[in-house]
Amino acid sequence: MQLSEREDNGVAILMPSGKIMGGPDAAILREKIHELVKGGKLQVVIDLAKVDWMNSNGLGILISGMTTLRDNNGDLKLANVTEKIQSLLTITKLITVFEAYDSVPDAVQSFSASGSN
Amino acid sequence: MTHTSRDSLRLVIPSEPKRIAEADEFVESALRERGVPESLISDLAIASTEMVNNAIIHGNKKDASKKVKISMTFTADEVEIRVEDEGRGFNPDNVPDPLAEENLLREVGRGIFIVRSLMDNMEYEQTDEGGMAVIMRKSFESS
Repeated sequence: MQLSEREDNGVAILMPSGKIMGGPDAAILREKIHELVKGGKLQVVIDLAKVDWMNSNGLGILISGMTTLRDNNGDLKLANVTEKIQSLLTITKLITVFEAYDSVPDAVQSFSASGSN
Repeated sequence: MTHTSRDSLRLVIPSEPKRIAEADEFVESALRERGVPESLISDLAIASTEMVNNAIIHGNKKDASKKVKISMTFTADEVEIRVEDEGRGFNPDNVPDPLAEENLLREVGRGIFIVRSLMDNMEYEQTDEGGMAVIMRKSFESS
């Protein structure tokens, strides 16, 4: 997994690519989210467009990031969820806990609409 | 599918989390070389990496001196993937239900559920050496 990052309108956008399967690569995503929280960046979008697939390790990182951000009055939202990941979110019922959007701009915009930090 | 007879291959890795990518590469290459459809390859890769992670982390407690063995056996109709560790094993029926409301936000505990959802069949057995083996099967018909 590779990870790139940008910012739009005060919202941090993380773009992992490849496979999120565990091991030291996946830990980079977890550490990045915690680094953002530490730096006071509490509005985060994960752009999943370039993620081939993830296993439960990847799902766990997303859940952990989301709960940490929500505990700090922020949020983690998903954008461009691929068919394979959508299917995993559905069978694990995690689709009910994440906010997911069709595009990054839609996800970024949702933070202004909701008024969260 | 290009293969017509039973064939098998095996990878043995030390129990280090960084070796998960090597296990994935082994599984995906073997499937791709045999013409398995891409839609099935990702399901099999997800299931295999779930079980190899479990073997490294929970079975062998990341002890690099302990090995994880990944075996693949192909027949004309299906692939069987067997992941063995040197741990003491566990009762998969004791794993909390990851779909229960109180567990939904837990970071861990979904691996076995996901494997059961993606594979046609999943079994556990004690190895001759006293470790644990997980055996997963997937039919090529399900693509």
